[in-house]
Amino acid sequence: MKNSLLVTSLEIAAIVLIAAVLGIGWNRTLLASAWKGEAAIQQPASPQAQTAQAGGEELVPMPIPLAQVKDMHDGKQAVVIDARSASTFIQGHIAGAVSLPLEEARKNPSSLKGRFSKDATIIAYCNGFSCHDSMDLGKLMMQAGYANVYVYEGGFPEWRDSGYPVAKGGA
Amino acid sequence: MKNVTGHLPSVARVALGGIFVYAAVLKISDPVAFAGSIAAYQILPYFASYLAAAILPFLELICGLLLICNYRVRGAAVIVGVLNLVFMAALASAIVRGLDIDCGCFKQGGAKTSPWLAMARDAVFLAMTVVVIKGRNRQEEAVLVSLPIREQ
Repeated sequence: MKNSLLVTSLEIAAIVLIAAVLGIGWNRTLLASAWKGEAAIQQPASPQAQTAQAGGEELVPMPIPLAQVKDMHDGKQAVVIDARSASTFIQGHIAGAVSLPLEEARKNPSSLKGRFSKDATIIAYCNGFSCHDSMDLGKLMMQAGYANVYVYEGGFPEWRDSGYPVAKGGA
Repeated sequence: MKNVTGHLPSVARVALGGIFVYAAVLKISDPVAFAGSIAAYQILPYFASYLAAAILPFLELICGLLLICNYRVRGAAVIVGVLNLVFMAALASAIVRGLDIDCGCFKQGGAKTSPWLAMARDAVFLAMTVVVIKGRNRQEEAVLVSLPIREQ
Protein backbone atom coordinates (compact mmCIF):
# COMPACT_ATOMS: atom_id res chain seq x y z
CA MET A 1 0.00 0.00 0.00
CA LYS A 2 2.82 2.36 0.95
CA ASN A 3 4.52 1.46 -2.29
CA SER A 4 1.49 2.29 -4.41
CA LEU A 5 1.21 5.66 -2.66
CA LEU A 6 4.80 6.40 -3.63
CA VAL A 7 4.17 5.28 -7.21
CA THR A 8 1.09 7.48 -7.45
CA SER A 9 3.00 10.48 -6.07
CA LEU A 10 5.76 9.93 -8.61
CA GLU A 11 3.19 9.63 -11.39
CA ILE A 12 1.60 12.90 -10.32
CA ALA A 13 4.94 14.69 -10.14
CA ALA A 14 5.95 13.41 -13.57
CA ILE A 15 2.64 14.38 -15.18
CA VAL A 16 2.74 17.89 -13.70
CA LEU A 17 6.36 18.35 -14.77
CA ILE A 18 5.72 17.23 -18.34
CA ALA A 19 2.63 19.46 -18.55
CA ALA A 20 4.64 22.44 -17.31
CA VAL A 21 7.45 21.85 -19.80
CA LEU A 22 5.03 21.34 -22.70
CA GLY A 23 2.82 24.25 -21.72
CA ILE A 24 5.64 26.73 -21.25
CA GLY A 25 7.41 25.49 -24.39
CA TRP A 26 4.29 25.66 -26.53
CA ASN A 27 3.37 29.16 -25.32
CA ARG A 28 6.87 30.58 -24.89
CA THR A 29 6.32 33.59 -27.16
CA LEU A 30 3.06 34.49 -25.48
CA LEU A 31 4.55 34.07 -22.02
CA ALA A 32 7.60 36.14 -22.92
CA SER A 33 5.44 39.04 -24.05
CA ALA A 34 3.15 38.65 -21.02
CA TRP A 35 6.23 38.78 -18.80
CA LYS A 36 7.16 42.11 -20.36
CA GLY A 37 3.61 43.28 -19.76
CA GLU A 38 2.66 43.64 -23.39
CA ALA A 39 0.86 40.34 -23.87
CA ALA A 40 -0.83 39.47 -27.07
CA ILE A 41 -2.88 42.41 -28.09
CA GLN A 42 -4.35 40.57 -31.03
CA GLN A 43 -7.77 39.10 -30.45
CA PRO A 44 -9.54 36.71 -32.75
CA ALA A 45 -11.66 39.11 -34.76
CA SER A 46 -15.39 38.58 -34.50
CA PRO A 47 -17.10 37.23 -37.62
CA GLN A 48 -18.88 40.56 -38.21
CA ALA A 49 -15.59 42.43 -38.01
CA GLN A 50 -14.04 40.08 -40.53
CA THR A 51 -16.80 40.52 -43.08
CA ALA A 52 -16.75 44.26 -42.55
CA GLN A 53 -13.00 44.35 -43.04
CA ALA A 54 -13.40 42.34 -46.21
CA GLY A 55 -15.74 45.11 -47.36
CA GLY A 56 -12.90 47.49 -46.52
CA GLU A 57 -15.04 50.19 -45.00
CA GLU A 58 -15.16 49.64 -41.28
CA LEU A 59 -13.20 51.88 -38.96
CA VAL A 60 -11.38 49.89 -36.34
CA PRO A 61 -9.98 51.54 -33.22
CA MET A 62 -6.30 51.04 -32.44
CA PRO A 63 -5.23 48.91 -29.48
CA ILE A 64 -3.21 50.74 -26.86
CA PRO A 65 -0.98 49.16 -24.20
CA LEU A 66 -1.12 49.67 -20.45
CA ALA A 67 1.88 52.03 -20.16
CA GLN A 68 0.44 54.43 -22.69
CA VAL A 69 -3.01 54.34 -21.09
CA LYS A 70 -1.37 55.18 -17.77
CA ASP A 71 0.51 58.15 -19.27
CA MET A 72 -2.58 59.56 -20.95
CA HIS A 73 -4.67 58.89 -17.85
CA ASP A 74 -2.20 60.71 -15.60
CA GLY A 75 -1.81 63.57 -18.05
CA LYS A 76 -5.60 63.79 -18.41
CA GLN A 77 -5.08 63.71 -22.17
CA ALA A 78 -7.83 61.19 -22.81
CA VAL A 79 -11.39 60.34 -21.89
CA VAL A 80 -11.48 56.79 -20.55
CA ILE A 81 -14.80 55.06 -21.17
CA ASP A 82 -15.95 51.86 -19.48
CA ALA A 83 -17.91 49.53 -21.81
CA ARG A 84 -19.10 47.22 -19.03
CA SER A 85 -22.52 47.27 -17.39
CA ALA A 86 -23.33 50.06 -14.93
CA SER A 87 -23.46 47.59 -12.03
CA THR A 88 -19.98 46.25 -12.82
CA PHE A 89 -18.75 49.84 -13.12
CA ILE A 90 -20.02 50.58 -9.62
CA GLN A 91 -18.11 47.59 -8.22
CA GLY A 92 -14.83 49.02 -9.47
CA HIS A 93 -13.44 50.93 -12.45
CA ILE A 94 -10.40 52.86 -13.63
CA ALA A 95 -10.36 56.08 -11.58
CA GLY A 96 -11.84 58.93 -13.59
CA ALA A 97 -13.45 56.66 -16.18
CA VAL A 98 -16.90 57.38 -17.58
CA SER A 99 -19.48 54.57 -17.62
CA LEU A 100 -20.78 53.94 -21.12
CA PRO A 101 -22.19 50.39 -21.25
CA LEU A 102 -22.06 48.84 -24.71
CA GLU A 103 -25.70 47.72 -24.41
CA GLU A 104 -26.79 51.31 -23.89
CA ALA A 105 -24.65 52.60 -26.74
CA ARG A 106 -26.06 49.93 -29.06
CA LYS A 107 -29.64 50.81 -28.18
CA ASN A 108 -29.10 54.46 -28.82
CA PRO A 109 -26.03 55.08 -30.99
CA SER A 110 -27.03 58.62 -31.84
CA SER A 111 -26.68 59.56 -28.15
CA LEU A 112 -22.93 59.08 -28.53
CA LYS A 113 -22.65 62.13 -30.75
CA GLY A 114 -21.89 65.29 -28.86
CA ARG A 115 -21.24 63.43 -25.65
CA PHE A 116 -17.55 64.31 -25.81
CA SER A 117 -15.57 66.79 -27.85
CA LYS A 118 -15.12 65.54 -31.43
CA ASP A 119 -11.33 65.86 -31.13
CA ALA A 120 -11.14 64.15 -27.76
CA THR A 121 -8.89 61.14 -27.43
CA ILE A 122 -11.05 58.28 -26.27
CA ILE A 123 -9.88 55.05 -24.67
CA ALA A 124 -12.42 52.24 -24.30
CA TYR A 125 -11.90 49.28 -21.99
CA CYS A 126 -13.83 46.38 -20.47
CA ASN A 127 -12.93 43.15 -18.69
CA GLY A 128 -9.62 42.34 -20.33
CA PHE A 129 -8.52 40.19 -23.20
CA SER A 130 -11.54 37.89 -23.26
CA CYS A 131 -13.93 40.83 -23.52
CA HIS A 132 -14.80 42.29 -26.91
CA ASP A 133 -17.20 44.96 -25.68
CA SER A 134 -14.53 47.68 -25.62
CA MET A 135 -13.66 46.97 -29.26
CA ASP A 136 -17.34 47.05 -30.24
CA LEU A 137 -17.90 50.26 -28.29
CA GLY A 138 -14.78 51.76 -29.90
CA LYS A 139 -16.22 50.99 -33.33
CA LEU A 140 -19.53 52.64 -32.41
CA MET A 141 -17.63 55.70 -31.22
CA MET A 142 -15.78 55.89 -34.54
CA GLN A 143 -19.04 55.54 -36.43
CA ALA A 144 -20.39 58.37 -34.29
CA GLY A 145 -17.62 60.56 -35.66
CA TYR A 146 -14.87 60.41 -33.06
CA ALA A 147 -11.52 60.14 -34.81
CA ASN A 148 -9.12 59.35 -31.98
CA VAL A 149 -10.47 56.17 -30.49
CA TYR A 150 -8.30 53.54 -28.82
CA VAL A 151 -9.07 50.24 -27.15
CA TYR A 152 -7.23 49.26 -24.00
CA GLU A 153 -7.47 45.49 -24.27
CA GLY A 154 -5.81 44.65 -20.96
CA GLY A 155 -8.89 46.25 -19.48
CA PHE A 156 -9.83 46.61 -15.85
CA PRO A 157 -8.14 43.38 -14.62
CA GLU A 158 -4.71 44.39 -15.92
CA TRP A 159 -5.06 47.98 -14.69
CA ARG A 160 -6.12 46.89 -11.21
CA ASP A 161 -3.46 44.17 -10.96
CA SER A 162 -0.81 46.74 -11.86
CA GLY A 163 -1.82 48.66 -8.75
CA TYR A 164 -3.03 51.72 -10.67
CA PRO A 165 -5.81 53.92 -9.28
CA VAL A 166 -9.29 52.43 -9.26
CA ALA A 167 -12.54 53.83 -7.94
CA LYS A 168 -15.84 52.37 -6.80
CA GLY A 169 -19.45 53.51 -7.09
CA GLY A 170 -21.06 56.36 -9.02
CA ALA A 171 -21.89 55.56 -12.64
CA MET B 1 -26.71 -5.69 -13.18
CA LYS B 2 -23.39 -6.94 -11.89
CA ASN B 3 -22.04 -6.61 -15.39
CA VAL B 4 -23.08 -2.96 -15.58
CA THR B 5 -21.52 -1.97 -12.25
CA GLY B 6 -18.44 -3.95 -13.14
CA HIS B 7 -17.87 -1.86 -16.23
CA LEU B 8 -18.76 1.45 -14.60
CA PRO B 9 -15.18 2.42 -13.66
CA SER B 10 -13.97 1.79 -17.23
CA VAL B 11 -16.84 3.78 -18.73
CA ALA B 12 -16.25 6.64 -16.28
CA ARG B 13 -12.50 6.55 -17.01
CA VAL B 14 -12.85 6.82 -20.78
CA ALA B 15 -15.65 9.42 -20.57
CA LEU B 16 -13.70 11.56 -18.13
CA GLY B 17 -10.58 11.26 -20.28
CA GLY B 18 -12.52 12.28 -23.37
CA ILE B 19 -14.04 15.31 -21.63
CA PHE B 20 -10.64 16.50 -20.43
CA VAL B 21 -8.96 16.03 -23.80
CA TYR B 22 -11.81 17.96 -25.45
CA ALA B 23 -11.55 20.80 -22.91
CA ALA B 24 -7.76 20.88 -23.26
CA VAL B 25 -7.71 21.07 -27.06
CA LEU B 26 -10.16 24.02 -27.07
CA LYS B 27 -7.96 25.89 -24.60
CA ILE B 28 -4.64 25.06 -26.26
CA SER B 29 -5.99 26.45 -29.52
CA ASP B 30 -6.69 29.85 -27.93
CA PRO B 31 -4.38 30.49 -24.94
CA VAL B 32 -4.93 34.27 -24.98
CA ALA B 33 -8.68 33.92 -24.60
CA PHE B 34 -8.20 31.32 -21.87
CA ALA B 35 -5.81 33.67 -20.05
CA GLY B 36 -8.57 36.26 -20.29
CA SER B 37 -11.06 33.82 -18.79
CA ILE B 38 -8.69 33.13 -15.89
CA ALA B 39 -8.01 36.84 -15.38
CA ALA B 40 -11.77 37.44 -15.22
CA TYR B 41 -11.89 35.37 -12.01
CA GLN B 42 -9.65 38.06 -10.47
CA ILE B 43 -7.81 35.46 -8.41
CA LEU B 44 -4.39 35.33 -10.02
CA PRO B 45 -2.19 38.34 -10.82
CA TYR B 46 -1.53 39.30 -14.43
CA PHE B 47 1.40 37.08 -15.40
CA ALA B 48 0.17 34.11 -13.37
CA SER B 49 -3.02 34.11 -15.45
CA TYR B 50 -0.92 33.57 -18.55
CA LEU B 51 1.24 30.94 -16.89
CA ALA B 52 -1.83 29.02 -15.76
CA ALA B 53 -3.36 29.40 -19.22
CA ALA B 54 -0.18 27.93 -20.70
CA ILE B 55 0.19 24.93 -18.40
CA LEU B 56 -3.33 23.96 -17.30
CA PRO B 57 -4.58 22.79 -20.72
CA PHE B 58 -1.56 20.52 -21.17
CA LEU B 59 -2.12 19.06 -17.71
CA GLU B 60 -5.71 18.34 -18.74
CA LEU B 61 -4.57 16.89 -22.05
CA ILE B 62 -2.00 14.52 -20.55
CA CYS B 63 -4.34 13.33 -17.79
CA GLY B 64 -7.18 12.85 -20.28
CA LEU B 65 -4.98 10.79 -22.62
CA LEU B 66 -3.64 8.66 -19.76
CA LEU B 67 -7.18 7.96 -18.57
CA ILE B 68 -8.28 6.94 -22.05
CA CYS B 69 -5.20 4.77 -22.61
CA ASN B 70 -5.58 3.11 -19.21
CA TYR B 71 -1.98 3.95 -18.34
CA ARG B 72 -0.87 5.43 -14.99
CA VAL B 73 -4.54 5.90 -14.24
CA ARG B 74 -4.31 6.55 -10.53
CA GLY B 75 -1.90 9.48 -10.86
CA ALA B 76 -3.93 11.00 -13.68
CA ALA B 77 -7.22 10.49 -11.82
CA VAL B 78 -5.88 12.12 -8.65
CA ILE B 79 -4.75 15.17 -10.67
CA VAL B 80 -8.14 15.36 -12.41
CA GLY B 81 -9.86 15.19 -9.02
CA VAL B 82 -7.68 17.95 -7.58
CA LEU B 83 -8.21 20.09 -10.70
CA ASN B 84 -11.98 19.69 -10.33
CA LEU B 85 -11.75 20.76 -6.68
CA VAL B 86 -9.72 23.81 -7.69
CA PHE B 87 -12.22 24.67 -10.45
CA MET B 88 -15.11 24.36 -8.01
CA ALA B 89 -13.34 26.55 -5.45
CA ALA B 90 -12.71 29.20 -8.12
CA LEU B 91 -16.33 29.05 -9.29
CA ALA B 92 -17.58 29.27 -5.71
CA SER B 93 -15.45 32.36 -5.12
CA ALA B 94 -16.84 33.90 -8.32
CA ILE B 95 -20.39 33.22 -7.14
CA VAL B 96 -19.71 34.64 -3.67
CA ARG B 97 -18.17 37.81 -5.13
CA GLY B 98 -21.04 38.12 -7.59
CA LEU B 99 -18.77 38.15 -10.64
CA ASP B 100 -20.67 37.98 -13.91
CA ILE B 101 -18.17 35.89 -15.88
CA ASP B 102 -18.00 32.91 -18.19
CA CYS B 103 -16.64 29.78 -16.54
CA GLY B 104 -14.04 29.38 -19.30
CA CYS B 105 -14.30 25.62 -18.88
CA PHE B 106 -14.56 24.58 -22.52
CA LYS B 107 -14.91 26.85 -25.53
CA GLN B 108 -13.53 30.31 -24.81
CA GLY B 109 -15.74 33.27 -25.57
CA GLY B 110 -19.22 32.82 -27.03
CA ALA B 111 -22.20 32.03 -24.82
CA LYS B 112 -21.66 32.33 -21.09
CA THR B 113 -21.96 29.25 -18.88
CA SER B 114 -23.26 30.21 -15.46
CA PRO B 115 -20.96 29.40 -12.51
CA TRP B 116 -23.74 27.33 -10.91
CA LEU B 117 -24.09 25.08 -13.95
CA ALA B 118 -20.31 24.74 -14.18
CA MET B 119 -20.19 23.83 -10.48
CA ALA B 120 -22.79 21.10 -10.95
CA ARG B 121 -20.89 19.79 -13.96
CA ASP B 122 -17.61 19.71 -12.02
CA ALA B 123 -19.36 17.86 -9.18
CA VAL B 124 -20.37 15.15 -11.68
CA PHE B 125 -16.79 14.96 -13.00
CA LEU B 126 -15.54 14.66 -9.43
CA ALA B 127 -17.94 11.79 -8.75
CA MET B 128 -16.69 10.09 -11.92
CA THR B 129 -13.10 10.52 -10.69
CA VAL B 130 -14.00 8.85 -7.40
CA VAL B 131 -15.58 5.94 -9.31
CA VAL B 132 -12.40 5.57 -11.39
CA ILE B 133 -10.05 5.60 -8.38
CA LYS B 134 -12.26 3.23 -6.35
CA GLY B 135 -12.54 0.88 -9.30
CA ARG B 136 -8.76 0.91 -9.61
CA ASN B 137 -8.28 0.09 -5.91
CA ARG B 138 -10.75 -2.79 -6.12
CA GLN B 139 -9.05 -4.14 -9.22
CA GLU B 140 -5.67 -4.14 -7.49
CA GLU B 141 -7.07 -5.84 -4.41
CA ALA B 142 -8.58 -8.51 -6.63
CA VAL B 143 -5.21 -9.05 -8.31
CA LEU B 144 -3.44 -9.29 -4.94
CA VAL B 145 -5.97 -11.79 -3.60
CA SER B 146 -5.86 -13.97 -6.69
CA LEU B 147 -2.06 -14.08 -6.93
CA PRO B 148 -1.30 -16.72 -4.28
CA ILE B 149 -3.94 -19.00 -5.70
CA ARG B 150 -2.36 -18.88 -9.13
CA GLU B 151 1.07 -19.53 -7.72
CA GLN B 152 0.02 -22.78 -6.06
